[in-house]
Amino acid sequence: MAKSYDYLFKLLLIGDSGVGKTCVLFRFSEDAYNTTFISTIGIDFKIRTIELDGKKIKLQIWDTAGQERFRTITTAYYRGAMGIMLVYDITNEKSFENIKNWIRNIEENASADVEKMLLGNKCELEEKRQVSKERGEQLAVEYGIKFIETSAKASIRVEEAFYTLARDIKAKMEKKLEASNPPKGGHQLRASEPQRKPTNWLSRCTIL
Amino acid sequence: MSESSEGEDVRELFVQDGVLLFSATASFINFVKSVGTLMITEYVDNRRFVEWKPIDVTVDSDIQDQEWAVVNTVERRVRTLSGNVLPEHKNRSKYLRINFEEIKSFRISDKSRRLTFNDGKTEQICTYLFQHGNCEHLVGFLKTLVKTVPSRRDKHLFIILNMNDPERERIDKSFAELNVCNDSNYVWNIWNFQERPVVTTLEAFAKITDLVYRVPQHREMDDDVKEILNKSITEYQHTSTTLSNGEYEVIDCVSDLPNRRDFPRGRALCSEQWNGVQDQEGRIEDSECLKLIIFQGGIVPSLRQEVWKYLLDYYPWNSTHSDRQKLILQKSDEYFSMKLQWKTMTKTQEDNFTDYKERKTQIEKDVTRTDRTIDFYAGDNNPNLQVLNDILMTYVMYNFDLGYVQGMSDLLSPILHLMQSEVDAFWCFVGFMNQLSANFDADQVGMKEQLSNLHTLLAFIDPELATYLDNHDSGNMFFCFRWLLVWFKRELSEEDCMSFWEVMWTGFPCENFHLLVCCAILDQEKQSIIGNNYGFTEILKHINELSGQLNIEKILNDAQGIFYQIKESDRLTDVIRVLLGLPVLYNSSLDNHETSPFVISIETSNESSNHPPECSVDDVRISPEEIQFEKSISSNFI
Repeated sequence: MAKSYDYLFKLLLIGDSGVGKTCVLFRFSEDAYNTTFISTIGIDFKIRTIELDGKKIKLQIWDTAGQERFRTITTAYYRGAMGIMLVYDITNEKSFENIKNWIRNIEENASADVEKMLLGNKCELEEKRQVSKERGEQLAVEYGIKFIETSAKASIRVEEAFYTLARDIKAKMEKKLEASNPPKGGHQLRASEPQRKPTNWLSRCTIL
Repeated sequence: MSESSEGEDVRELFVQDGVLLFSATASFINFVKSVGTLMITEYVDNRRFVEWKPIDVTVDSDIQDQEWAVVNTVERRVRTLSGNVLPEHKNRSKYLRINFEEIKSFRISDKSRRLTFNDGKTEQICTYLFQHGNCEHLVGFLKTLVKTVPSRRDKHLFIILNMNDPERERIDKSFAELNVCNDSNYVWNIWNFQERPVVTTLEAFAKITDLVYRVPQHREMDDDVKEILNKSITEYQHTSTTLSNGEYEVIDCVSDLPNRRDFPRGRALCSEQWNGVQDQEGRIEDSECLKLIIFQGGIVPSLRQEVWKYLLDYYPWNSTHSDRQKLILQKSDEYFSMKLQWKTMTKTQEDNFTDYKERKTQIEKDVTRTDRTIDFYAGDNNPNLQVLNDILMTYVMYNFDLGYVQGMSDLLSPILHLMQSEVDAFWCFVGFMNQLSANFDADQVGMKEQLSNLHTLLAFIDPELATYLDNHDSGNMFFCFRWLLVWFKRELSEEDCMSFWEVMWTGFPCENFHLLVCCAILDQEKQSIIGNNYGFTEILKHINELSGQLNIEKILNDAQGIFYQIKESDRLTDVIRVLLGLPVLYNSSLDNHETSPFVISIETSNESSNHPPECSVDDVRISPEEIQFEKSISSNFI
């Protein structure tokens, strides 16, 4: 059965309630913005397939409820996430301060090598800004992750954010694949290959 | 049952394709990174093996040559590895074969995609990578053949218990101590059943047949034996997992519930009926009868505003007109004094009161995104949003510990829309929250308990579906979270939601009826879920997408049907009875914990060994409420 994609990446949107996680996702998956949006209860996900370097990448993006109360449920979905968007609202200082709690939350519940990215949303509301771009940049540097300011409403840099995250995951993944599969051999017996020489067996017997 | 190839005395008990040999001892170097089939096999001498064979490559002659060379290499090594020379069969000779006795432990990693077998000397025998799906089915099957315990140091590592292992002995002993029956003719050995399911089952059936047809003098089986026999069968059903790829498919019990009856919705409570049940002073004497009518058919919309106040414990059923007038004044005062408490809070006070401020901020965020598509709340600066905000803020002052949690604004919205009065809406909301506060616990214990209860009920009603969900990472029922948190508010239109809630508020026909509603929907979606072989993500998506698609009348009809199927089932257990608030068999020991399933489950497990329950359904005691309910069904609803 032919697959309609080469890679499947599971991404996660987390951050305080009301920072615009659902809107960012809606913008990216439907290229739309809904003024009569509703709060997320429980968890949901949307799919969009993008193309990077000729590879079709299916992004499965999970949207979670932001309120602390639901964290015991939502963290159950962190498992297997390859990328996480940490979203705050540039007009809400508290949501920015809470990013460090969310990072801790990720460290406790997601896999260690998950690719992270910081998103300052609602950047169209310049007149209400409480968190400067510099502070966002600085926090991102502190955690060694990328940072971007977006607006789901005005459709600013949302695409760019997801493409960047996807590209970073892809690069990391391909690097890993290369490391576990030395260039000398494919990962299964191939018809055209000459019979393997006994000398390279060590490299092929991977120990976990 | 087994598919043994001709000329071979070997049975393939379990087969899984698409398994890559990831690493192996040097002997199998040529196969590393090849894809093949992993099998669990049993030879005629009862020895069992984990075998792996590479996919047959038959494309061109070059490959044939290569394959041939590989086969030859391995043929020698197989013998050396296992040390057990088996009758070699030409087409099994190239298999990587591990004798069960060699495996001391196995480790599952990489989200169950990787499976490593170890011998006892910290050596890996080999590691397999499951390219399609995961190793859970295989491991599940393996665990029916060997007894395993998770390692204390590494929860992904499973140690295989030796038959002569002291731990194994202990487990055996504990079974023996149950002293199920002195005569082993009646109850078969549990280990036998796990190890040789088909043979043992057939043996057991043969024994039962003997019992029934040939040996009449043996018929007077002790009651406790009967019960244990019954119990062991049902419990095995409940704990077993379906192994769809296996040779032995452990088929879940076909639902043996009585046929589902049809309960068409009745007519909604109308003004004539409503006025008819009030005495001259406005008391409602037979509130149970009214609730039953509402349960059967809801309330006509024009009457809702009035009747909801009773259903939500704002107005007492037995209050008179004048009582209610007094109550309204008193409750109004109470409301506004609480409202004043937060209205008069200064900025400084707020800044020094973090918990309060958090609640306030969350309410502000949610009010602006509650039901904005409904006219009543639509548009910028809609004054009704302010009322919604004020009621929720006042509720924070009324019940600060619970405070405000997302979802509450959803619960208030239809109530305020209907009441059109801030005070009435507040007190009705209080009544609703009294029923649902557990949904908003700080630690979410209430939700987790409901999800677990839902699973228990589903496993009773439809073991096949429950097992399917278990095997697809969905046994925690998290995909029903939204349904339960806000009682289907997000799944139904406002009108349907109102009809649904008022039916739920009646408390008929049993406790936790909303969980049976969930079961009714899941039953309806079962074919889609299993038929499409949905996994974890698809199940969640499918359930989320039911929003706006549910036919509430049909679901209520089905849920009621399911209730009677359960109630009339002859394998009804006390755990289920307690969940549904039905009278349990042993009231004496349960009187004190009627509502706690946790305590009850301990009680019922005692009961199996100490006090065998009566087998007959006729012995179920019927409570006065139940008699009332049955009576009212037949007489009142005309």
